[in-house]
Amino acid sequence: MKILTIGNGSREHSIVESLAISNIEPVIFNIGSLINPGILELCEKSGGKVVRSDPNDPKKVVEIAESISPDFAIIGPEEPQFHGVPDALLDAGIATVGATANCSMIERSKAWMRRLMFKYKIVGRLRFKSFTSVEEAIAYINAYAESIVLKPARQSGGKGVRVISDLQEYLKKEKRAVKEKHAKYLIEKHMKPYSDIDDKILIEEKVSGTEYTLQCFSDGHSVIPTPLVQDNKPAFDGDLGPETGGMGCCSYRDTLPFITKEEVDDSLKIIKQSVDAIQKETDEKYKGIIAGQMMLTSLWGPTLIEFYSRFGDPEGVNVLPIMKTDFVEVCEAIISEKLNKIKIEFEDQATVVKAIAPRGYPDYRDLAKGHPISVDLKLLEKYGVRPYYGSIDVVNGSWITGGSRSIELFAKRDTIEEANEATERCIPAAKLLDGHQLFHRSDIGSKERLLVEADKANLAREIYLYRKEHNLIGRKVDWIPLRGKIEYKG
Amino acid sequence: MAGQCGIFSFSDDWEVARFLYYSLLSLQHRGAETAGIVTSDEESIYVYSKKGRVDDVFRDEEQIKTLKGWYGAGQVDLDHKSKLPFSNGEISVCFSGRVFDYDGEKIDKYDDVQLISEEITKEYKKCDAIGCLNNVTEKINGIYSIIAVTKSGDMLIARDSYGVQPLCLGSLKFNFGVVSNESATLDVIGADFTTDIERGENRIINRYTVDKYVKRENCNSAFCSFEYVYYARLDSIINGISIYECRRKIGCELAKQDDIDADVVIGVPETALPFGMGYSEETGIPAHLGFVRTGIHVRSAIKPTQTERLIGVQLKLNPIRTPVRGKKVILIDDSVVRGTTMRNIVYTLRLRGAREVHVRIGSPRIVSPCIYSDLVPVKDELIAADLTDEEITEVINADSFSYLSLEGLERSIGLSRDKLCAGCFTGEYPISWNGE
Repeated sequence: MKILTIGNGSREHSIVESLAISNIEPVIFNIGSLINPGILELCEKSGGKVVRSDPNDPKKVVEIAESISPDFAIIGPEEPQFHGVPDALLDAGIATVGATANCSMIERSKAWMRRLMFKYKIVGRLRFKSFTSVEEAIAYINAYAESIVLKPARQSGGKGVRVISDLQEYLKKEKRAVKEKHAKYLIEKHMKPYSDIDDKILIEEKVSGTEYTLQCFSDGHSVIPTPLVQDNKPAFDGDLGPETGGMGCCSYRDTLPFITKEEVDDSLKIIKQSVDAIQKETDEKYKGIIAGQMMLTSLWGPTLIEFYSRFGDPEGVNVLPIMKTDFVEVCEAIISEKLNKIKIEFEDQATVVKAIAPRGYPDYRDLAKGHPISVDLKLLEKYGVRPYYGSIDVVNGSWITGGSRSIELFAKRDTIEEANEATERCIPAAKLLDGHQLFHRSDIGSKERLLVEADKANLAREIYLYRKEHNLIGRKVDWIPLRGKIEYKG
Repeated sequence: MAGQCGIFSFSDDWEVARFLYYSLLSLQHRGAETAGIVTSDEESIYVYSKKGRVDDVFRDEEQIKTLKGWYGAGQVDLDHKSKLPFSNGEISVCFSGRVFDYDGEKIDKYDDVQLISEEITKEYKKCDAIGCLNNVTEKINGIYSIIAVTKSGDMLIARDSYGVQPLCLGSLKFNFGVVSNESATLDVIGADFTTDIERGENRIINRYTVDKYVKRENCNSAFCSFEYVYYARLDSIINGISIYECRRKIGCELAKQDDIDADVVIGVPETALPFGMGYSEETGIPAHLGFVRTGIHVRSAIKPTQTERLIGVQLKLNPIRTPVRGKKVILIDDSVVRGTTMRNIVYTLRLRGAREVHVRIGSPRIVSPCIYSDLVPVKDELIAADLTDEEITEVINADSFSYLSLEGLERSIGLSRDKLCAGCFTGEYPISWNGE
């Protein structure tokens, strides 16, 4: 059996690994813009190879795919989906795991996603407004927007999101200035390269609470969950620093220590309803991975922040290595629409994944780029910690950093704290050979951090359960002078 | 001691001066003699400091506008000679504490700020920010709390191994890192508490990293106990302990020491109000408000001159008649430093017809100065160092007078004496001149 994988990050490294350990012993191929050393090793060992090409170019991908003629393809990242790579592969007769261009609208256009949730009255939806011009956006900001999230309307590598709570009247001026500057930046600069959606920016109501990701397999009929994972977006320890793609995650069996079984079920319900809605809207089957990045809020309980039309990175690296079911079998079940016929099981373990990045990531990528990197595999082996390579390019046999997270370390243990300790011991294994520094977050998976998250969850839970009991969930009532009572029903 | 804060924004579209202004306002109670702010935009360092309260020093809106940039720090001080932040154009330092020796050499009071600034500047040229801070703090024999900003985009934060002064870190997610002595600052500017700066911790915040290095001498904590009794805000969490809960418990402890058949419990505003509530909760004697303030809130005990202190007290405390007239009153205050304040309060209560006045103090006897700050005056100005409780009862003209026991204070804070600095109550200090 031959399998083609698309994408070259840590997430794809773990996808390739899960395929490689299959009893079917497939020959694995990969297309990526960088040659990922981990993927390279696994592909070559399986008898396949890695091709350097643009994974977002459907024509090039199909060309390479046709020369390989794989049994099926699996798409790692979101951009190839947005560019129609799965559609092109399907057209060429190649079965594909990964949302089509239309289905991946759930991630590509945040405005489309929000409208969908309102149209189908899916719970956990946030109020929003979308804008195409700077003037309209700024007028709205000045008139109404208080605590808000400013987002580019299109998924753009997780970048450009700004969260601004604006509760203090005395700091309004400064906050308004930043909101305006950011809205202007998003429309005039950030969204410039993207012409594939109409909306430019989204202004959403800001909610707070603990965040978690629920990643699921979908075959167009069934939606099957994987263990709940918590990602950490701020770059530095203590939730400080700019937003990144994710600095590390933890999971604990099928949930997290601070999320209840009912909340997991409610979250899954949101994702299932959304998949149904996507299929109704697009008239296409959703065959691949869908993930809900959720927040436990006092407004709704489980609340949808964003959708991923693929595994999260790093979140995918938490769940794939502990999946007991053969991944090839899972992919085949997605393709043949028979997910309900197989049982997908996971090890009863806690996992921690930590990303290590060169100094300069995420905002000064030129600084982070171009450093030779080495990894002490013996140290990793000693603690049973596995490396998943990310933004590393194999150039003439040397490993050179790209601008993003270089490597993700994975550990599984009985508890999150133990898994955290194992990854922490292995941090020194990665080194840049030219003296430039690497950084990671030491607090992810620590006891203190988990307590903070548990406290946030409890605070939100106490309120949303009360609101639920009193039929207030999702409701917001306001009174405006000369206009009277106004009720937002979401 | 002082009130210190710092803000580092991770993107340069923020102007942080006004955030620093409100941070300092939230720390005003920690010192009302001088106030200053430093900011930087990596092109210049902008500093402004002056004698006065925060809202006086920065009354002119234009003044805040001249403080440009996306990172900076500020300090309010109860020492009127303080000129902080101290700046040399490259580095600007907020410093609170007392350096006794540096690299083995004795340092005189008021020389320490300049010395630390010069040493940081010197080391900063030689190594990276964290290395610089490590090299400087290693040579300090003393207690310190440092927040410094450099023109090249670093914020340096350091807390001594004893952790005498509190320092905590917060985050305005994706936007700012915030550091302050008190967690209430975070609430005031809308940031979330992240963690306490550890004892012996050096921390660097810049655009590329948040680095932390902890090198702790082999010692217990020596958290300032005065913070819990008097200094910190009620809404702050200091070293993981709620100030409000601590002060309420102090009231309960005072009640457990007593058996008085009184009609009413009155706490002297503002600090002693929760003592009164705790006392009432424990005994069942109703708590009432006893005083109304005129003018702005002034912390009378830390005003520098006797006249200012008296004016502070008299303006602050006009007794309300009905809770006092014909009543047996338990009157609780936070401390007795010189006795003048208390004598004045008892006198006015008696004028309003109080039958009995039993004075209780929510802190142990203050017998020794604070050798790290001007928070507690020198010994010959301390009434408790000179007179017995019976003598004080006579001087202030009360029916009875007693302090909180040291054990009661330990129980209220939830920490034993060996983890606190109780120097002003015991005369024993965790660290003093080298070799003494």
